[in-house]
Amino acid sequence: MPESFLWIGLANVFVPVNLAAIVGGTMIGMVIGAMPGLSATMAIALLLPLTFSMEPETGLSMLASLYLAAMYGGSIAAILLRTPGTPAAAATVLDGFPMAQRGEAGRALGLSLTASLIGGTISAIALLTIAPILGRIVLNFGPIEIFAVAVLGITIIGSLSQGSTILGLFAGVLGLLIGTVGMDPTTGTPRFTFGILNLFSGVEFTVALIGLFSVPQAIRLMLKSEADREGRVSSIRDRMLPTWPQFRELLPNSVRSSAIGVLTGLIPGTGGDTASWFAYNEAKRFSRNKEAFGTGHPAGIVAPEAANNAVVGGALVPTIALGIPGSSATAVLLGGVMVHGILPGPTLMTEYGDVTYTLLWAVLFANVALFVVGLFFTRACVAVTKIPNRVVGPVIIVLSVVGSFALNNSMFDVWLMLVFGMLGFVFDEVGIPTPPLVIGLILGPVLDTSLQQSLLIGQGNWLFFMQSPIAVVLLAIALLSILQSTPLFPAIGRKLRKPREASDLGDDLPGSRE
Amino acid sequence: MRTSYILASTAAAALVAAISPAAAQEVHYGSGDSVTVLQGFAPGGGSDTLAQLVQPYLAEELGGVTFVNQYQPGATGAIAWTQLAKQVEPDGETISITNTPMLMTNYIMNDSITYTIDELTPIANVVTDPGVAVVPANSPFQTFEDLMAAAKENPGTVTIGNSGVGGDDFFTSVLLEQAADVKFQKVPFEGDGPSWTAAMGGKIDASFNNVGITYPQVKEGNLRALVVFAEERLDELPDVPTAKELGYDVVAGSSRGYSGPAGMPEEARQHLIDAFTRVVENPEFQEAAAAQAINIDFIPGDDYAAFLKSQEEEFRGVWETIKDDVQAD
Repeated sequence: MPESFLWIGLANVFVPVNLAAIVGGTMIGMVIGAMPGLSATMAIALLLPLTFSMEPETGLSMLASLYLAAMYGGSIAAILLRTPGTPAAAATVLDGFPMAQRGEAGRALGLSLTASLIGGTISAIALLTIAPILGRIVLNFGPIEIFAVAVLGITIIGSLSQGSTILGLFAGVLGLLIGTVGMDPTTGTPRFTFGILNLFSGVEFTVALIGLFSVPQAIRLMLKSEADREGRVSSIRDRMLPTWPQFRELLPNSVRSSAIGVLTGLIPGTGGDTASWFAYNEAKRFSRNKEAFGTGHPAGIVAPEAANNAVVGGALVPTIALGIPGSSATAVLLGGVMVHGILPGPTLMTEYGDVTYTLLWAVLFANVALFVVGLFFTRACVAVTKIPNRVVGPVIIVLSVVGSFALNNSMFDVWLMLVFGMLGFVFDEVGIPTPPLVIGLILGPVLDTSLQQSLLIGQGNWLFFMQSPIAVVLLAIALLSILQSTPLFPAIGRKLRKPREASDLGDDLPGSRE
Repeated sequence: MRTSYILASTAAAALVAAISPAAAQEVHYGSGDSVTVLQGFAPGGGSDTLAQLVQPYLAEELGGVTFVNQYQPGATGAIAWTQLAKQVEPDGETISITNTPMLMTNYIMNDSITYTIDELTPIANVVTDPGVAVVPANSPFQTFEDLMAAAKENPGTVTIGNSGVGGDDFFTSVLLEQAADVKFQKVPFEGDGPSWTAAMGGKIDASFNNVGITYPQVKEGNLRALVVFAEERLDELPDVPTAKELGYDVVAGSSRGYSGPAGMPEEARQHLIDAFTRVVENPEFQEAAAAQAINIDFIPGDDYAAFLKSQEEEFRGVWETIKDDVQAD
């Protein structure tokens, strides 16, 4: 039975109106993704009412294409302006912007587009073929396992704080601390809210992110004299797409990052924002050329971009297979499904198979549309580097204000964004790295909630974490990661490796990730 | 002369300033009027589902009114409801979707939340999603009595998930604890989905949720419903007993309706109530609601006010007895 749906879905995708929906969704998604502050989730939520009058498969195809395209769109602003267009593109800033500064903006965007295509295609294929099997994995992730994932994520701080470990740890801890603001998840007690209602749900992560990245960059641009601009301008005609040998070199990294993206997307509560950092970290761990990361290294762009597009398929897996949204964007998508009288749940694969499989094929074809549309759109975007700094700076501020307001219709968030902007500026001036703060902000609430839930389920027994094989493996990797960033580890490693040849970098996938 | 700022949810970020055409004394809704609906939760959630279902029909009954949804998520709805109670002009041009019991438990549980239902004009309740206890398909608990027996035998060890402290499911488990004199290990999750997912994966013994939310999984056999917290058995789950039948006097669920600010013109309120009444009687609407497994529970006007009042009293009492326990954890 699923086979027949598979072909019905494929045939449906080629209906002109559905193809138009895919292309339209791709264009809208790319533009919205490129705007700092307007995230994929918000774009889906805003477009949702528009799709109500369409056939369910058309509307859903449009929204899924939009989701996918927003993931790539986010990297455009990250690379050109050092301000991530979506939270999922924050990791892309690290290597994307330095490369653009060298005058290779086109190349950086081309890498991002190619990686997005690979990530999106791999996840779409996973979605079409093994969604029912993968969907079951989600059920293995309860609070204990999610806690272990978060712990593993926290160890990324270690590898992002090169330069000064102390300052990196400081930023990370500050992020975790800010993550505790809001109502305690298990008692409802407000923490550090000072009676301000807007803080009851915690600090909106996207608001903080907009401030941390955009405001310091805007200030920097405005302070810089126009003479400094030479380096920033990119030739619009420079080669965007990687050559075949370059592509082959990037392939293992893309595939690994895509796998990370799919799996992170699967786990409820973690999405593109987490996956991109995981992928960046693993790319660095497996690279022979660790020092190059952060200076405009191609692998540093490919990893997060492949991962955040792969998240789309990953997050749709449990959504489709079980009716459990894998990310906030898919949660909104499920709302759209319900308006058409389709109950999200296991029946999506059976009773409504024709709609569902059309959606799945649409995700696959949206990647192609994204690539084609992306090639043209991106070329136009590179022109941004030709605009004078004193214009770009204020525009970034305006977009940031609009974006942070639009998130919750709240002026409070605008002020909060500006406070984080000042914090980010101070961080830059003093030389404290911002990425660890971002990791802390993303994972702090996850860590907090899952730890408290685990301890409630385990009756307060800390050894409870040792009863889940998945958690044990993840925690062991976390421990290894911590050891790896201490001076002790390389010393031991050298001793062990000396007798044998020192190259065992062959295996690509961190196989422990299930 | 009055200028109201309405944020059109469809314009991504544009602040649209609209000068209201209605004169101050005119309180009858009609074509060309726009009514802002404050929503305390993000688009795509339960409140939004209700809005998308009801408002097109309601707009028609009101002679072509335009409804503008204004989403102001945060603090489990308290930001939107504080605004409704304290800041909005009571001219009938702004109303809000009000969720029970969150509307009351917010301020009962937190001193910093200062609005109360006395500062609102209840218009009508529209839906109630009754509470349900679900277990994984392979759970050793075959009946609700099995679950309760286990909880009695080993107090505080049976793990029961809920959708969050202060939500209806949390209070359902507390009401049951008090009615049956047992102690569960309550595990709050961030919303219904994570709670029933954890039950489905066998991470917790049972999850207290709402029927509409878990029904697809129950129908598919991934979850088993042990009991419903409704007055009578439900059509969609005819074999599942009510808690009342089994001797536990617990009826609970999550209700959603519409309220305006206090001091809203009586005529406008009545006009809305009449329109709501016609909507819920419309077979086309009933069919659309049934397709989404939405359980219509229409409580108009003064009855809605009385319902909110009695709920407030009940939850205030419950919270007083458990407050120290919960917050000492």
